[in-house]
Amino acid sequence: MLLSLNWLKDHVAIPKNISPEDLAQKLTLHTVEVEKTESQAERFNQVVLAKILTIRKHPNADRLQVATVDAGQKEELSIVCGAPNIAVGQIVPLALPGAVLPNGIEIKEAKMRGEKSQGMLCAEDELGLGHNHDGIMVLPKGKPGQSFASYLKLDDIIIEVDNKSLSNRPDLWGHYGIAREISVILNTKLKALDFSQVKLSLPANKKSEGLKPLDIKVENYNLCPRYMAIKLDNIEIKESPAWLQARLIAVGSKPINNIVDITNYVMLELGQPLHAFDAQDITKIVVRSAKKNETIKTLDDKDRKLEDGQLLITDGQKALAIAGIMGGADSAISATTKSIIIESANFDAAAIRQGSTKLGLRTDASMRYEKALDPNLAENALKMAVELIQKDNKKVTLGSELSDLHQGFKSIPAIELDLGWLNNLVGQAIPVEKTKEILTNLGFVLTPTGKNKNGDETMSVKVPSWRATKDIAIKEDLAEEVMRLYGYNNVSGKLPEVSMEAPEKNEEIALEHKIRNILVKESKLTEVYNYSFTGEEELKKLNLDDANYIKLVNPISKQHTLLRQNLLPGLINNIRTNQYRYDDLGLFEIGGVFLNVFGNLKKNSQSEERLPYQEKQIGIALAGSKNELFSEIKSIVADLIYSLISPQIEASFVPTDMPIGYSDKELKAAINVLGKNIGTIVKVDENITKGNGLKKIVVMAELSFNELLKLVQNYGYKQYRAVPKYPPMVRDLAFVVDAKILYNDIRDALKNFHELITSVELFDVYVGDKLGANKKNLAFHVIYQSDERTLTTEEIDTIQNNLINHLQSKFEAQIRNF
Amino acid sequence: MKNKLQQLKDEISSQLNTVANNELLRDFENKYLSRKGKLGKLMKEIKDLGEDARKEIGQFANTTKQEINAKYLEIKKKFATGGPKNEFIDVTLPGNNVKHGHLHPITLIQKELEELFTSLGFIILDGPELESDFYNFEALNVSKHHPARDMQDTFYVDKKNEAGEYDLVMRTQTSPVQIRALEKHGAPLRGISVGRVFRSEATDVRHEHTFYQMEGLMVGEKLSFADMKGVLELVGKKLYGPETELRMRPKFYPFVEPGSNGEYTCFLCAGQGCRVCKHSGWLEILGCGMIHPDVLRASGVDPEKYTGFAFGFGLNRLVMLKYGIDDIRLFNSGDMRFLAQF
Ligand SMILES: [Zn+2]
Repeated sequence: MLLSLNWLKDHVAIPKNISPEDLAQKLTLHTVEVEKTESQAERFNQVVLAKILTIRKHPNADRLQVATVDAGQKEELSIVCGAPNIAVGQIVPLALPGAVLPNGIEIKEAKMRGEKSQGMLCAEDELGLGHNHDGIMVLPKGKPGQSFASYLKLDDIIIEVDNKSLSNRPDLWGHYGIAREISVILNTKLKALDFSQVKLSLPANKKSEGLKPLDIKVENYNLCPRYMAIKLDNIEIKESPAWLQARLIAVGSKPINNIVDITNYVMLELGQPLHAFDAQDITKIVVRSAKKNETIKTLDDKDRKLEDGQLLITDGQKALAIAGIMGGADSAISATTKSIIIESANFDAAAIRQGSTKLGLRTDASMRYEKALDPNLAENALKMAVELIQKDNKKVTLGSELSDLHQGFKSIPAIELDLGWLNNLVGQAIPVEKTKEILTNLGFVLTPTGKNKNGDETMSVKVPSWRATKDIAIKEDLAEEVMRLYGYNNVSGKLPEVSMEAPEKNEEIALEHKIRNILVKESKLTEVYNYSFTGEEELKKLNLDDANYIKLVNPISKQHTLLRQNLLPGLINNIRTNQYRYDDLGLFEIGGVFLNVFGNLKKNSQSEERLPYQEKQIGIALAGSKNELFSEIKSIVADLIYSLISPQIEASFVPTDMPIGYSDKELKAAINVLGKNIGTIVKVDENITKGNGLKKIVVMAELSFNELLKLVQNYGYKQYRAVPKYPPMVRDLAFVVDAKILYNDIRDALKNFHELITSVELFDVYVGDKLGANKKNLAFHVIYQSDERTLTTEEIDTIQNNLINHLQSKFEAQIRNF
Repeated sequence: MKNKLQQLKDEISSQLNTVANNELLRDFENKYLSRKGKLGKLMKEIKDLGEDARKEIGQFANTTKQEINAKYLEIKKKFATGGPKNEFIDVTLPGNNVKHGHLHPITLIQKELEELFTSLGFIILDGPELESDFYNFEALNVSKHHPARDMQDTFYVDKKNEAGEYDLVMRTQTSPVQIRALEKHGAPLRGISVGRVFRSEATDVRHEHTFYQMEGLMVGEKLSFADMKGVLELVGKKLYGPETELRMRPKFYPFVEPGSNGEYTCFLCAGQGCRVCKHSGWLEILGCGMIHPDVLRASGVDPEKYTGFAFGFGLNRLVMLKYGIDDIRLFNSGDMRFLAQF
């Protein structure tokens, strides 16, 4: 929202020593966020007056002309212009290179169809001075080179306020509301609004002249708590007076005609939107909700289909306006309007907001209504409008009695305020007089109610109507009023006094960090964060069924329509993003997935309904050109388990029948720790990688975070084992077996063969022609050790021989000599 | 055993004499001298012998090993990489490439903040990313018709409650964790929570539908605005240095009253004014406020007995300021050119 400093000064005295920047900062620190202050002259920076010297046809474009102008510079400038109304000798506004016009156009020196153009001659609308685009603005006189701003005597300062910071303050959507805040901030006087002289009905002795109230019906007072309207006759439509136009221009509102300008002016002053109808064809007004398939042509000349329930102003039959949002074209003020009806109404904030959202139409009016306006405001606004119209044109007369339809307004309860409580909340004492002054200046009415047991004053606080619609309801709201105007920065920070306590550790978060560290520091992987969403297409390409995914109701792109159930799709995307720049990629993510079943968390403390099941997963992806990647990812997983849990607990990999859509048929396995499957490793099927545009071999591991957490909680403490007192004996054993016999089984057979075998270590696997088809050679170190004595060669030889026999009979192993 | 050793010594000596170049020397080393080579294995076997046997043979084994080693080194010297001693060695040659892994920059800031706050006695809290309407809005005092609930701001999922309304959202803030934590732990409580949040908006250089926040709260008896300010001042000094100041100004959030914005002295220009702080000398870093009594009530805490404050940081912004990152989309891009810088 734009504010004019001159306008604010109508209502509040601003001492000379407070610069616009100071004022802006004070507003920001106490009330609303000021985005910038700008003098009007700055808005017309590099816009000057120029005199047209010559005009010739553009050699390459029929519609263009080339003018030379005197812009007060040493040399004449050449300007290409499309407007037909220019003539030699005219004084016109010229935007020089570097100018940024109010409509956002940035002027640069350019060649237009081969002709040099050193600026732009401007029409009114391009300068934000009206809606006229009929031709270049021709000025009655002026000196070439004079700045346009000084020519127009523009001396206002424009303050731009962030609308978002006004969202909970319906009272600040007009200059008067802001002026009130300034008066409290600066502790200067706010001029009272006085419309007591404005008469909205004829004096009693003239009632016989027969003015009747308008025929108005409000169907639902919940949606329209107040509807005021009055008819004015002998209207003459013309341009607004210069002062009024200047005000509107200053705050970026285009002057249109005297009636529309006045309704806009009142809105910008008080925050209450008004609407003026051409009264000619209106005999009746009904405020009601739209019926099915109703339509209206709005002021912006658009035909709009209205949704069921949209609040309308109608003539009993057809729609005249969309209530609180935009008027209709048919009843719009035109050059021939002779008689008008001015509406000053209060509409339900939620209804206007929903209506405006459905229509996709936000207007100055709807923005204000959706903040919940004070119904008392409607009266002042109507009076002010009538006063301005009659001032502008003395011939205007009342055409009806005033209509004011409502069913009474909500009473505003008083809030009990205990200054002792207030000081405790602030954390320091704000002087009692200061507190009272702030509240009183803001319009609160204070009634003393005594003292609390500590002797602090207590009072009953009546909230002014303009703050009572949604903004202020409880004592904490009053505390904010006092504190923000006293100044948040005048409160001294102090550290809370608390009893000493060691914070309870969050095991989950700690584990997350541990896992990240291991994967990054030991396995040299890079952590990625991917979106929590996936899409049908993406899943299909990975041969995953999307049937049981939770869907977004309102996705914003086709790629992100479903809640992810595993981390693979994101990692695949990451590989595609990076594959041409890196030979090898090692990535991981720890992230949440969402399953379409109920979990443990409640939806609400009072109900037994549950949220969908959500858990964290760990996804690891390696991409490269080597076939050994499958083995590499095993090392990474094994290292993770080793580092997280214990060197004594190993991860093993077991064959799995689990259907994994994207997996290679052979190269997949479950990750098993202490008999429990905690995840899978797979090589991504080559058709899938190709189908996803990947030029690399990709292997993946997925681990369940919860299972890892359980393991860590149960076994993740390292316990010291006494260093063996007696030396181990190591025997190597190599043998050839059928390729299909699993390492896991052989390892278990070796390990469990004898109690003196404390561990076995595979150190070589060989597959080759020399061995014959479907054979492999495995070589192990077998470690014998006893806690009680030194082993003898003889006893180990015996065990080793028995072990060899066992392998021969169990696996048909052919022992190779060492 | 002694025989075995003697045999091996002979074998090695004869082999060593046939070694003619560096390559053969390496083969020799692998075959005999490496840990898994013949000599290595034999030495291991000797170690495994009973104590008596070991004593007997140990001495012999050691001398044998030394002799072999000496001879090996002599030959090795002959073939040494540098060749003759006076050949130039470039000491500026780099070492071997070392591979690196990288933590995500949000993880880095998360750890920094978690460490800071746990050092102040805050516990670390966690909550679901797919959250109920109740925890994400209602309990946080966001009324039924508040614009934040619009589909144009919030992602809803296709699950309806008994009344036929969509009642599950991708959480729009980490604040629901406040409620869940107060329900679980009760008052007094101080905790923080870092996490992923969502807004339904199109992405560009400055906007993301998925971003990261840190939420903190402290609830206790007689906690005041001044206490909140003190804690946040301390946080600023820890994050940006001891000269950092906090500037506060009113800001509306439905779940706090009074509500405030917090700006810290711009650490890039030390408050002098620069492009990043728009020449104000201040960087807007956080939102905060005294927890609204309705929110305490919704969490089962008596607002007449307890007060509290809450604050939130946008982590993307913290990281972007810290490292001068100008495109918020990089965080979820998986682009290694970005990630490998952290
Ligand atoms: Zn700066």
